[in-house]
Amino acid sequence: MPKRSVGITRRRFLTSTAAVGATTILAPNRRPALAQGVKATISFWNGLTGADGKVMDDLIGQFTKETGIAVEQQRIVWPDLYAKLQVSTPAGEGPDICLIHTVEVPHFASDGILEAIDDRTLEAKGFRGEDYLPSPWNGGTYQGKRYTIPLDVPQHTFFLNPKLMKAAGFANPDGSLKLPGSKDELLQMGAKLTSGDVFGFAMGSGANIGRYTWSLHNLLWQNGANIFTPDLKKCALTEPAAIEAAEFWGAIFAKNKIATPANANPRDAFIAGKVAMWIAGSWNVSGLREAKVDFTVAPVPKLFKQPIVFTIPHQFSFPKPKTQDATRREAAWTLIRWITDHVAEWTLRAGQVSANRKSHTDPRITGDPALRTLLAQGPYWQHGQSTPKWVPAENLTRPVVESVYIGQKPVKEAMEDLARQINALPD
Amino acid sequence: MFAGRRRALRRRVSPTPYLFLLPACLLFLLFRVYPLVNGLWLSFTNARLGRAEYAFVGLSNYEKLLDDPRFLLSLVNTAYYTVASTLPILALPLLLAVLLNRGVACKALLRGAFFFPFTLSVVTVGLAWLWLLDPVVGPFNYYMRRIGLPMPSLLAEPQTAMWGIVLTSVWWVTGYYLVIYLAGLQDIPRHLYEAAAIDGASAWRSFWSITVPLLRPVFLFVFVIHIIGSFQIFGQVFVMTQGGPGDATRTVVQHLYETAFQSLFHFGSASAMAWVLFAVILVFSLLQFRILRGHAEY
Repeated sequence: MPKRSVGITRRRFLTSTAAVGATTILAPNRRPALAQGVKATISFWNGLTGADGKVMDDLIGQFTKETGIAVEQQRIVWPDLYAKLQVSTPAGEGPDICLIHTVEVPHFASDGILEAIDDRTLEAKGFRGEDYLPSPWNGGTYQGKRYTIPLDVPQHTFFLNPKLMKAAGFANPDGSLKLPGSKDELLQMGAKLTSGDVFGFAMGSGANIGRYTWSLHNLLWQNGANIFTPDLKKCALTEPAAIEAAEFWGAIFAKNKIATPANANPRDAFIAGKVAMWIAGSWNVSGLREAKVDFTVAPVPKLFKQPIVFTIPHQFSFPKPKTQDATRREAAWTLIRWITDHVAEWTLRAGQVSANRKSHTDPRITGDPALRTLLAQGPYWQHGQSTPKWVPAENLTRPVVESVYIGQKPVKEAMEDLARQINALPD
Repeated sequence: MFAGRRRALRRRVSPTPYLFLLPACLLFLLFRVYPLVNGLWLSFTNARLGRAEYAFVGLSNYEKLLDDPRFLLSLVNTAYYTVASTLPILALPLLLAVLLNRGVACKALLRGAFFFPFTLSVVTVGLAWLWLLDPVVGPFNYYMRRIGLPMPSLLAEPQTAMWGIVLTSVWWVTGYYLVIYLAGLQDIPRHLYEAAAIDGASAWRSFWSITVPLLRPVFLFVFVIHIIGSFQIFGQVFVMTQGGPGDATRTVVQHLYETAFQSLFHFGSASAMAWVLFAVILVFSLLQFRILRGHAEY
């Protein structure tokens, strides 16, 4: 990905000034001005350990320069970040702001780790539901209370290796690539693309929850199934739609051998040109561009009843402090407001589309084929169910789903076993 | 006479040595004994990380462990790893130490080369071997294919994944045990070998009749340390397989970690697992001492 110039030309300055002026005049009451004169040092914890961390560093550097508010970031891999947040916050050692995933909201909220945000504060700070896409906005609530403000929407997308696809004859006359329209078609295409150490298909990345659990979630949701029943009281993985989705998951490797083996990293395999079709997270886009991989992005194919796309939005949260510090809180709000206002830069450089609609019509974003694809998936976004048991269930799901993938366990038996374990999770 | 006894008594109760010992004792109490005792207490509670309130639940956490098939499987896997890794970890460093002790060329260089992996962190070692053994892009499988021996990756199959972990561990710790064996070998008096040679003993006979018996204390040390370390294996599993494929490499500490830090932060259950593991290690360590201690003298 070419580096963007950070210098400001006279033309850009005048254009920006005019745009900001116009925005201020046309919508004077929608957004309060940034808090002026707030001088504070705030702590901001996040798990942006990839290329997106560097982007956040740059944005925060710019924020500090503009506002005088210093931000001390702690960047820790997500699982460790959550354990640390769980321990530090009750001890009064939590950060002023913490970036978390949507699925973490229910258990942190129910454990009293996060502070609720009331409607008046939300309104005063200029955050309104209609400015956001519904899925990530609604993900910031738990039992009717809001706890977080969404930043962006990491999501699944469909990566394709054009060279392998064309070599197998999966190209349309106009040069575009042929995409699978159903699970059977995907299996057929995958079989044709698989040869030697080249695999037709892969889903997810790594050997962790991101590969196994989230991949299953996407398949379940496409088939109208879910981990829990709608009332969230018991596990729904033994329902026929869930079994059908899991059977497909087992079919791609254990039965049809069209996907990468267990403990292979599909991301590395895709970069090495050994995977033709890959459903994986949008967070891979910038890394693939940096690695100068030849790839195309398409919408996640509809394999079952509906073209649902797995998402796991990032949310800004306020861990509950032992004593309130109004200055620091104000500074924290200023940071969230500032990043929300500059979210187009975040999207362009980190490769994640924003939850806020503000940047969705930005020509720089709509002009990028990958970002345009991610935005087009918006109507089909779905995230985890709003229960504190979601994350523990994710952890229980990974090994069971992996055993289905490698054919170690019959699907029905595995799903029944998993449902038993999930139902046994304590409240 | 009485004055002399009083002086001797004063010398005996002098506080100076205790003052020197005090900092270490305090640190030991604070960072070893207190967590241990607190962990034992937590194992009888429903404590959760980050929650101030918790209740005493008696033996409930221990009873649940008996009904937890994944915990029982993790115990079996840990025992499997311990047994599978013991022979290579005892034998390979010994073989290398005996060779190095015989005055091979570049001895210092070889000793450094063998010890080098042990200077690396477990994460570095795990990531390196994860890549080496990657079924698709790893060099191991690539070269096997090139020489006409295509084979599935060790890590990809549930039947072989634990051997991938064993291989990594052996590569990592061989240098450490090699140094210990070398020190033991160099403590064996040379004249014993010379006397054996005069009596016409072969090298093999000298090894079995002199080296092995006189290395028994070293064997005991290596064996006990290795068994304790094996039951606590975590780093390699966490980095390389996270317990997979399926639960094929799930070990007790991996299961404990997930229970304590990923799955609802259940410190009560995790503490119970830790104490079960402690009991298992204690029993095995005592058994080893009992079996090997009596033969250590020469």
